[in-house]
Amino acid sequence: MYRKEYLEKKSMFDGLIVENVIDGNVAESKLNEIIEKFDAIEDNKELKNILESKKQDFFKNGVFIKAPAGKKYETPFELNYDKNYDNNELNDNNLIVAEANSELNLVVDYKNNDKEVVHKGLNRILVKENAVVNFIKVQRLNDKSQNYDANLSIVENSGKINWISIELGAKETTASNFNLLESERSQADIKTIYFGDGERKLDLNYTVQHFGRHSKSDIESRGVLKDKAQKVFRGNLHFKKEAKEADGSEKEHVLLMDKTVESDSIPALFTEEDNVQGEHAVSAGQIDENSLFYLMSRGFTEVEAKKLLVEAAFNPIFDQIPLNDLKGSVMNEVKRKLE
Amino acid sequence: MSENQVDLNEIDRSIHDTKNDSDYSNRAKIGLTPKIIREISEEKNEPEWMTNFRLKALDIYQNKPIPDWGADISDLDMDEILTYIKGEGEIQNDWEEVPEDIKNTFDSLGIPEAEKESLAGVGAQYDSEVVYQNLKEDLVEQGVIFMDMERALKEHEDIVKEHFMQLVPPNDHKFAALHGAVWSGGSFVYVPKNVEVDIPLQSYFRLNAAGAGQFEHTLIILEEGSKAHFIEGCSAPKYSVNNLHAGTVELFVKEGAELRYSTIENWSKNMYNLNTKRAIVEKDGLIEWVSGSFGSKVSMLYPMSILNGKGARAEYTGITFAAEDQYLDTGAKVVHAAPHTSSNINARSIAKGGGHAFYRGLLKVTDSADHSKSTVSCESLMLDNESKSDTVPVMDLNTDDIDIGHEAKVGRISEEAIFYLMSRGISEEEAKAMIVRGFVEPIAKELPLEYAVELNNLINMELEGSIG
Repeated sequence: MYRKEYLEKKSMFDGLIVENVIDGNVAESKLNEIIEKFDAIEDNKELKNILESKKQDFFKNGVFIKAPAGKKYETPFELNYDKNYDNNELNDNNLIVAEANSELNLVVDYKNNDKEVVHKGLNRILVKENAVVNFIKVQRLNDKSQNYDANLSIVENSGKINWISIELGAKETTASNFNLLESERSQADIKTIYFGDGERKLDLNYTVQHFGRHSKSDIESRGVLKDKAQKVFRGNLHFKKEAKEADGSEKEHVLLMDKTVESDSIPALFTEEDNVQGEHAVSAGQIDENSLFYLMSRGFTEVEAKKLLVEAAFNPIFDQIPLNDLKGSVMNEVKRKLE
Repeated sequence: MSENQVDLNEIDRSIHDTKNDSDYSNRAKIGLTPKIIREISEEKNEPEWMTNFRLKALDIYQNKPIPDWGADISDLDMDEILTYIKGEGEIQNDWEEVPEDIKNTFDSLGIPEAEKESLAGVGAQYDSEVVYQNLKEDLVEQGVIFMDMERALKEHEDIVKEHFMQLVPPNDHKFAALHGAVWSGGSFVYVPKNVEVDIPLQSYFRLNAAGAGQFEHTLIILEEGSKAHFIEGCSAPKYSVNNLHAGTVELFVKEGAELRYSTIENWSKNMYNLNTKRAIVEKDGLIEWVSGSFGSKVSMLYPMSILNGKGARAEYTGITFAAEDQYLDTGAKVVHAAPHTSSNINARSIAKGGGHAFYRGLLKVTDSADHSKSTVSCESLMLDNESKSDTVPVMDLNTDDIDIGHEAKVGRISEEAIFYLMSRGISEEEAKAMIVRGFVEPIAKELPLEYAVELNNLINMELEGSIG
């Protein structure tokens, strides 16, 4: 299930517990803690909806990973799904626990050959006290495929979840990202890039629920839409009562490159607590004409100039991909799409 | 704590919540049947097309479901609502002839002050019939028509027939259908080509009688190059039976015309305010909405501007103040349907004492609206920890050559600002009140003086002793 590179690099993952998840079950029953934790969340309609709608499809095979307390793993752990193909279906159900004071980097790169595939993925992450999890998801399935995934986290005291989500492929994609900042000083940082071209349809849903005091969240989405691409962006920031001094912000910037695109944005704020800072901002439009004009006056063609400006917008997020070859190939893919 | 601290719950709302003992001649009409609709229409001596329109709307109303989003309106028992109540007073042109008890009610609301020299006319709706209409002679000479809808239907039937419920058709939603079936009263304004009405036209609505619904229809038509400012104010007395307000406002702004539509709504706190307001703006025209929502138990109010001609513009400035037991769901909707159109939305809300303020907006840019621009800005202020404030702006963009910006913020009064003001010798209460007044300033300054004063009084009344 998990990669042989992991076995080769095993010395770098000393102490990391890695188990296969088969039909939704983890071999060692005590490792079901994370499932119980998610199931125990009461009265959370949004989470229940995500889980209920996906349970049948999603409770299949994947990996259970647990970083023991105090262990920091710098080397990114690559989640592999190669064996999860079931005819034209690709399912993965990954459970991740970062114990107190641990640090874990995870990378998953969903791609396929020219076969049509339906991907259904579920990642559940529990970040305990003062732990940090960096989760990098690249989705570049071919243009015939469909992608449905849900990425959920619960963050405890002073823990931090960092998501980088890059949506480049699939004919249709529905991606949900849900984070519950359970206790004090928990943090969620979500950076997302999407590229809609051809007849691609994207439905992106990002939610952060602030329960903990001094909890902090930041959603930043950058995207490009061209040809007949359609996109819906939903960003939901919830400030629950008693989430005092919580601070949340969501930003979306979308570049519209053709008349035929359709872009919907719904950045919502729900506030039950007065002592919070919440803000959202959305901007939509074309590439800044002044910048384009400047670059063209320096000898770049219009296409080159546009490419440069899009790259300039995306690169700060790409730079956070910890694997150089993955970073390079993602950047090339964006360049190619801009031709 | 300042000396003049008052618990809001103890504030005497009697000035606004006054009920007079009117003698209602048509009292006993509860529930809705085609027979009642026919009777209403007959009594009003309406043309046949209007009777048929009402019946068609009733049919739509009975077949449409209640909206499943937004506020909970399950408490609202439609059969209990008296749809048509006619006060004893007939339409008057002379203030002196208005019946004494009706006059008293208006006096306590400050209508006579608002009616002095500077005002063009007052069409104040007392229950369902307009009891007072006045328009300065020079406006009549210029061809400006300002009268109640009933009279307009008789005297200007062609204009009414051409525009009535064309912008808000009865099949728009359940309460628009209800309105189409039982509408009564309201104002009609027609401004001919190139005429500028430089003094605001006013109408003050008021609901009396327990269980009475108010379904006034406002129809304003501005011909090419004309200008006008219309002010609508609402206030209602308080009763134990839930009240419903389902009025409709239709504004037609023709080429190059400019209309400003200002509203201060201060319904009593058992009112369901489900009003529908819509404007269509042609080439180079301008619609400006100034909207203050106070009072009411539930409000669902989303003034909509359809920018239908090249270069048309819309501006929306709104304040929503949700206090205890209130759910105010408001917002602006703009449809950019032509090139080079622009819109500017500035919405502010305050929530206190367990109130729930909800901004729900829509910005739609169709594929024919290239070079359009829009900025949307929402700010919410929470005054305590029991209240709720939500913001859901929807942006639906269908073309590329546009410039759209949106920003929203939520938070409470900053402690640094309070601390600074207190260090300058201002009490904590006063410092907070100053900051709130500053927060609503952009709206207050858009209103004519007497309404700005009323807004300020409302805010002071709501604020004193209530924050901190």
